[in-house]
Amino acid sequence: MTDLVMPKFGLTMTEGLLTEWHVAPGAAFHAGDVLFTVETEKVANDVEAEADGVLAEIVVAEGESVPVGEPVARLAQAGDDAGSAGEQTQSAPPVLDPAPIPAPAADTEDAPSARKLMAEHDLAREQVPPSGRNGRVTKGDVLRVIATPLARNIAAKEGLDLHSVEGSGPMGRIKARDVEGAAKLPPRSQPAATPEPAPAREITPDAARLATARRVSAAKRDIPHFYVTHEAELSALTGLRKQLNADPDAPRVSVTHMLIRALGVALSEHPAMNRIWAGDKIVAFSQANIGMVTQTPDGLRIPVIRDAGGATLDDIATQARDLAARARSGELGASDVGDGVISISNVGMMGVTSLTPIINPPNAMILGVGAERQLFRPDENGAPALRRELTLTLACDHRIIDGADAATFLAEIVALLETPLRLLRPARGTADQNAGD
Amino acid sequence: MAEIRYIKAVNQALADAMEADPTVFLIGEDIGAAGGSFKATRDLLDKFGPERVYDSPISEAAITGMAVGAALTGMRPVVEIMFMDFTTLSMDMLVNQAAKARSMFGGQGSVPMVLRTPHGGGLNAGPQHSQCLEAWFAHVPGLRVVCPSNPADAYGLLRAAIDDPDPVIVVENKALYAMKGDLPDDREPIEIGKGRIVRPGRDATVVSYGAAVAMAQTAAETMAEEGIEVEVIDLRSIQPWDEDLVLESLTRTHNLVVAHEAVEAFGVGAEIVARMADIGFDQLDGPILRVGAPFAPSPFGKTLEDAYRPDASQIVAALRRTLA
Repeated sequence: MTDLVMPKFGLTMTEGLLTEWHVAPGAAFHAGDVLFTVETEKVANDVEAEADGVLAEIVVAEGESVPVGEPVARLAQAGDDAGSAGEQTQSAPPVLDPAPIPAPAADTEDAPSARKLMAEHDLAREQVPPSGRNGRVTKGDVLRVIATPLARNIAAKEGLDLHSVEGSGPMGRIKARDVEGAAKLPPRSQPAATPEPAPAREITPDAARLATARRVSAAKRDIPHFYVTHEAELSALTGLRKQLNADPDAPRVSVTHMLIRALGVALSEHPAMNRIWAGDKIVAFSQANIGMVTQTPDGLRIPVIRDAGGATLDDIATQARDLAARARSGELGASDVGDGVISISNVGMMGVTSLTPIINPPNAMILGVGAERQLFRPDENGAPALRRELTLTLACDHRIIDGADAATFLAEIVALLETPLRLLRPARGTADQNAGD
Repeated sequence: MAEIRYIKAVNQALADAMEADPTVFLIGEDIGAAGGSFKATRDLLDKFGPERVYDSPISEAAITGMAVGAALTGMRPVVEIMFMDFTTLSMDMLVNQAAKARSMFGGQGSVPMVLRTPHGGGLNAGPQHSQCLEAWFAHVPGLRVVCPSNPADAYGLLRAAIDDPDPVIVVENKALYAMKGDLPDDREPIEIGKGRIVRPGRDATVVSYGAAVAMAQTAAETMAEEGIEVEVIDLRSIQPWDEDLVLESLTRTHNLVVAHEAVEAFGVGAEIVARMADIGFDQLDGPILRVGAPFAPSPFGKTLEDAYRPDASQIVAALRRTLA
């Protein structure tokens, strides 16, 4: 018998939602058959069989989330007598990694059960003192809540999670008074004669909404954000775009595509910015991968444009259009997401002036893009001059990026947008490597 | 209601019991003509004669053995062992005979004897005259152990012990012998196995017996100045002890300290704490703490002995810890 485990798609996946089984218990399957579907925070993935076999027993039912590496089913290999006792558990099949680029080992060695618990209780890794070898967080470390028996008793009666209660006793021990304080948050004495509030409906969020909620909460809480804002003058860019789009045989280029290209060029020329903070280490990327925040019927998706520093503007336009279409139709694959340093979120089409976005982990930055506006600015002589401007807000992770670096980087992006012919050149850092033609 | 000293209450209980029941007699060292080392039996020789107030040889084993034999034949002997430290010599008779008789004779025989003995320090009497060994007796099935904390209880518990059909060890704290207290006019025995709430409180419970009861009351007064209401329980009886009363109190206060003068390790406090950690677990809102003497022989010198004996400040410290 072999355990079929929850595979790991991408750098930061810690758990997956098993949405569908395609094989019934007891049924045989062949190599290449789709066994089950996993929904991560980013995409839905079909997991295929690596060899012929029989699905002996389903461990994780549809609709349940499990940490990466945990068994989801038991397999009997072809020839095995399914269900016979006493076989030695073979080593689990290798973790799938469909990502085409080598994923840097940025994840922790924490026990999967511990990671699941931390996610469930919205605990940052830093909040849990590890006791395992090499600083590994174990399940016990997460579960360890120091509380008196009476406090536990009251919490159980009140349905209160002790992880959410701050202890006032010695060494943070949670005492009865702490639980009572936490449970009594809604004031006991209701003010008299308050008008009856309109009835509110309770709606159970779906998995996608829950995943988003958990992800953005963790991001905003754990990442020390800071923001730099810059206006970009777009007259030259608009002119170039018009000229490029005049060619009916070339892919249509949008402002977003040009922004992605600008980020790609800027990252290639500033490799120090092409890094992310991964807990206790820094991961440096060799390519400029740019996430593109895309609104879909299932919520936000962030497909990634690969190598925006090396790719041409036309390549980027083609790639981005294809990814956006597949994101909206729910057909993104595991290789279409993850492993970027920055994402771009453009809400200009809604007419808003600017957007101050939340970084999408494990990214180190996100660029919020507002609407293009026409406005008067004083020219050198103080006379009003008509300009087309775009407000760019760069949110940065202060753990890895300092203010001056961020300001320089954003200014460089603006310079690229204001002298847009540079977007058609190879990026300087990569030019040397590509030279020779 | 008359004010009376602890030692006089003991004397009164012995006299009343002898008055009430001709099978009651006293045996011990220097209890007759001398009236006892602490004068517990003063004047009783004159009142009841040498057949009922018997000065024995200096042999605790013989004294206890005679008492067990007399009790088996229907008498109600009251033994005085001058210091609890000397009960080591009585142990075989108590543990292997007195405690076992009822069970070994199928309930057809019993040993209605009492052994009175003083424990405790504070008199600079040294390591062989200050020990509190009640836990030894409480550990033996078949023996009962009481420890009065005041004159009225000394009277009532001794009367109950003499009436009791089984062997009872009455432990008197020698530092309390001079204590004054009221003795009710209608003097009644006090039921063995029942404790008493000496001071009601809301925030923590101190369980104590003997001399520690007064320490606990002082500690409660100190805490009351800070608005912390401490409930003080006097166990009165150590074996059996009033588990229901302690649990009921813990259920209200959720914090528990057990205080006694005996060495803390392996003591009566350990038993109470262990039981409450079991049956009272879900009520606990802090660690259950013990206050007792350190694990060392009692010193002779006054300063050392003062440091050795538990006092109210140690109970206050324990209360602060459990309430932290």
